[in-house]
Amino acid sequence: MATILVIDDSTSLRQVVSIALKGAGYSVIEACDGKDALSKLDGTKINLIISDVNMPNMDGITFLKEARKLPTYKFTPVIMLTTEAGEEKKTEGQAAGARAWVVKPFKPEQMLSAVSKLVAP
Amino acid sequence: MNLDEALDTFVAEAEELLGNMEDALLGMKRGSAAEDAIHAIFRAAHTIKGSAGLFGLDFVVGFTHTAESVLDLVRAGELEMDAAMVELMLEVCDHLGSLISLVRQGDLPDADLQGSASLLTARLQNYLEKNNPPSLPEVEAAGVVSDCWHISLRFGQDVLRYGMDPFSFIRYLGKMGRIVGMHTLTDGIPRLSAMDPESCHLGFEIRFESAADKETIESVFDFVKEDCRIVILAPHSMIEKYRILIEELPEDDMLLGEILVKCGSLTQNELDAALRIQASAPIGEVLVGQGMVRAPVVEAALEKQKQGRDAKAGEVSLIRVDSSKLDRLIDLVGELIIVGSSASLFAQRSGVAELLEITSSMSRMVEEVRDTALSLRMVQIGATFNRFQRVVHDVSRELGKDIRLEIGGAETELDKVVVEKIADPLTHLVRNSMDHGIEPEAARIASGKPACGTLKLNAYHDSGSIVIEVSDDGGGLNREKILKKAIEKGIVAADANLADQEICQLIFEAGFSTADKVSNLSGRGVGMDVVRRNIQDLRGSIELDSVEGQGTTTRIRLPLTLSIIDGCQVAVGKSSYVIPLDMVIECIEFEGGQDEAGQSGYLNLRGEVLPYLRLREYFEVDEAAQKRQNVVVVQYAGRRAGLVVDSLLGELQTVIKPLGRMFGGVKGIGGFTILGSGEVALILDVQRLLQQAEEREQKNSGRNLTIMEESRS
Amino acid sequence: MEKMAIEGELSICRAEELKRELLPLYETGRELEIDLSGVTEMDGAGLQLMVAMKIEAIARDVRLSFTGHSAAVMEVLDLADLVGFFGDPVLITRQ
Repeated sequence: MATILVIDDSTSLRQVVSIALKGAGYSVIEACDGKDALSKLDGTKINLIISDVNMPNMDGITFLKEARKLPTYKFTPVIMLTTEAGEEKKTEGQAAGARAWVVKPFKPEQMLSAVSKLVAP
Repeated sequence: MNLDEALDTFVAEAEELLGNMEDALLGMKRGSAAEDAIHAIFRAAHTIKGSAGLFGLDFVVGFTHTAESVLDLVRAGELEMDAAMVELMLEVCDHLGSLISLVRQGDLPDADLQGSASLLTARLQNYLEKNNPPSLPEVEAAGVVSDCWHISLRFGQDVLRYGMDPFSFIRYLGKMGRIVGMHTLTDGIPRLSAMDPESCHLGFEIRFESAADKETIESVFDFVKEDCRIVILAPHSMIEKYRILIEELPEDDMLLGEILVKCGSLTQNELDAALRIQASAPIGEVLVGQGMVRAPVVEAALEKQKQGRDAKAGEVSLIRVDSSKLDRLIDLVGELIIVGSSASLFAQRSGVAELLEITSSMSRMVEEVRDTALSLRMVQIGATFNRFQRVVHDVSRELGKDIRLEIGGAETELDKVVVEKIADPLTHLVRNSMDHGIEPEAARIASGKPACGTLKLNAYHDSGSIVIEVSDDGGGLNREKILKKAIEKGIVAADANLADQEICQLIFEAGFSTADKVSNLSGRGVGMDVVRRNIQDLRGSIELDSVEGQGTTTRIRLPLTLSIIDGCQVAVGKSSYVIPLDMVIECIEFEGGQDEAGQSGYLNLRGEVLPYLRLREYFEVDEAAQKRQNVVVVQYAGRRAGLVVDSLLGELQTVIKPLGRMFGGVKGIGGFTILGSGEVALILDVQRLLQQAEEREQKNSGRNLTIMEESRS
Repeated sequence: MEKMAIEGELSICRAEELKRELLPLYETGRELEIDLSGVTEMDGAGLQLMVAMKIEAIARDVRLSFTGHSAAVMEVLDLADLVGFFGDPVLITRQ
């Protein structure tokens, strides 16, 4: 079973995403910001990371750069969540190697289809 | 609200739009946001042109049209709105302002204003010509047999490093349809010792069966679209597109071609055709075959040679003549004909043999002069048709539909004046067909048609007329919808019993619009009723054939020339009438008694039913009928009818003089001419008369009239 | 004959590591047999690694065979339609 790490400072967003992903057969780990998420990267196999960009403590792009330094997570696919307005953040994220973007607000099924393009349950 | 009030509204609206246009232009001059300003400017010109067309303000339409075309190119990003153009557009804006104030006063532009209009138009035209790319040579335009999508993927080398697995996308694609055939390209993969194992070297050719649309299929690869070369070809795509695919991909052409055949996306024949097109230049083939030069180099060189040759040939054989000089010549020839027939008449009366001989040979010469003069003004319709390549190209891109244009009968000749006047209605019909006729790609595929729509322009001569056809292979007209709309709009009565054919023609009625929503395109220009009016002003007619699900053909029938015709002169009482000779089939003696009541009826023509119309009653000629009467059998657009007249006076050449405005409403008369004797003869508008004959008969008999179709054997 | 078994992931995460382990095997010049029965996951990187191994073998004129294809391997080979490319005997799992 594929495991997905969901990082967002909004609890309700994490919940909705988790419910959708679990319903589709994925296993989900949640984290509330970049720092929290880094602490969960303890060698556990993670097949996909979904991360918000703007978060307190550590933002999504810094997190991504840190995660890529760990051998286990060097090639883990990442979906970044962004808002329409976050264009310059997107450029920064692209430079850090993020290619998959989902624009907020999104519907659960949009997230599911994005996820299933990258990993099967 | 009446038309005058509506015109006031138009003036007010136009003034407001011109104000916006000026503001936007001045804003651009100061360097404010260009995108919105360009849209505002275009919108102003576009709206003014559209409304002016509805009011028949041709001088406004004509002038605005060129400006709009230039702005259209700016909007599409094909022209740049530089400082010079801003200045020009400001002048355009001012000129439009003057035109609109003329409209307010109910005046027409004077010579001065016309002069400045043509200067401005010429300057605008400059931009258009600069931007008109040379038309592409015709390529083999057949679609491939395969009814599947073809997807060609070359993943960028960093894809794997971003954590993305090419196969995950292919698996996802598999959820959207069926992967019928797939070839994994291994050629790009180096040997292990030379390989960077984290770089991606994979490519795929996929034959994919799915009901999804192109956008949906594209979205599968959203996350890799920046790092990946993706080509998606719709089912039944042109072989040309496969040729481009083969050419543009890095692999060896032959190898890639074989892969496409293996996937089933191309048949061997189609591959051969594609490779043949590729190597079409004969000298080039040899050179490339010998490995001396690369194909594109040769093609470019040959193309250049050809252009040079064409230009040279053109210089030698053509001179440019101001068309107003030609018009003057035709006018003079017209006068010459009238004077000539006068002379013949008096020669006959005088009975002097030598004079008769001279006048008859003079008539022959005059006839030749007439034909030659007219032929000077005859141009092939091909050039007009070819202009539509661009229109079709642009519009299909705008609509997101894949539509190609087929041209037939390009060498068919017709009067230059007619060609000029037909361009606008034709543009409207073409746009209409593309917008409303041809369905979106998904719908076409669903109904088993090739993804690429076809629009056909065709022209041919038919009994003294030229017929121009605009046909599409789209969805055809929905008769129920049309009828419903027509009843809604009060164009026909709710209980009207109409034949299919008649329902189709309803779209030409004033106030009828088929579009549910006003799209960018259908909003452009004029309505179908205006198209019909334009055609009728040219003494032509328009009709429409449509098979639901298979397409629509609009047929415009026009006289070959507008000014001089061969006619058959007839008399009713003391009045003379002229029937265009092209439309006369035969003349027979009328056997029905004069005492028979009514204007019209049927007669038996060698076993066929022929509706007839008595001109005496129709034109309310008071004198009593002669004992013997004749029937002139006329034919127009496949329909026949008889016109009952007193006597037949023979053939003659006539110059058509238009009737004054006062007589514009007289039905059945197309113009008048001055006979050699100085008398006036009326020229019959056979098309209207035929219509009237049918209508009356329908009313009289209270049943549908079966129109005699000409049997084409 | 040189034998080696690939266990666990045959994927981008281990591509570099596997290349380092596999390359020396060719030096012996002997026939190679790679056991894939322990492969739990395979991706595009894994597939192109297999292809590169095969090409390396052909270039060196060394016989290379893959054996014991696991379900994860077969799924990718079937999808890519490359079973025939390798020419190794495999268990036909699909109809």
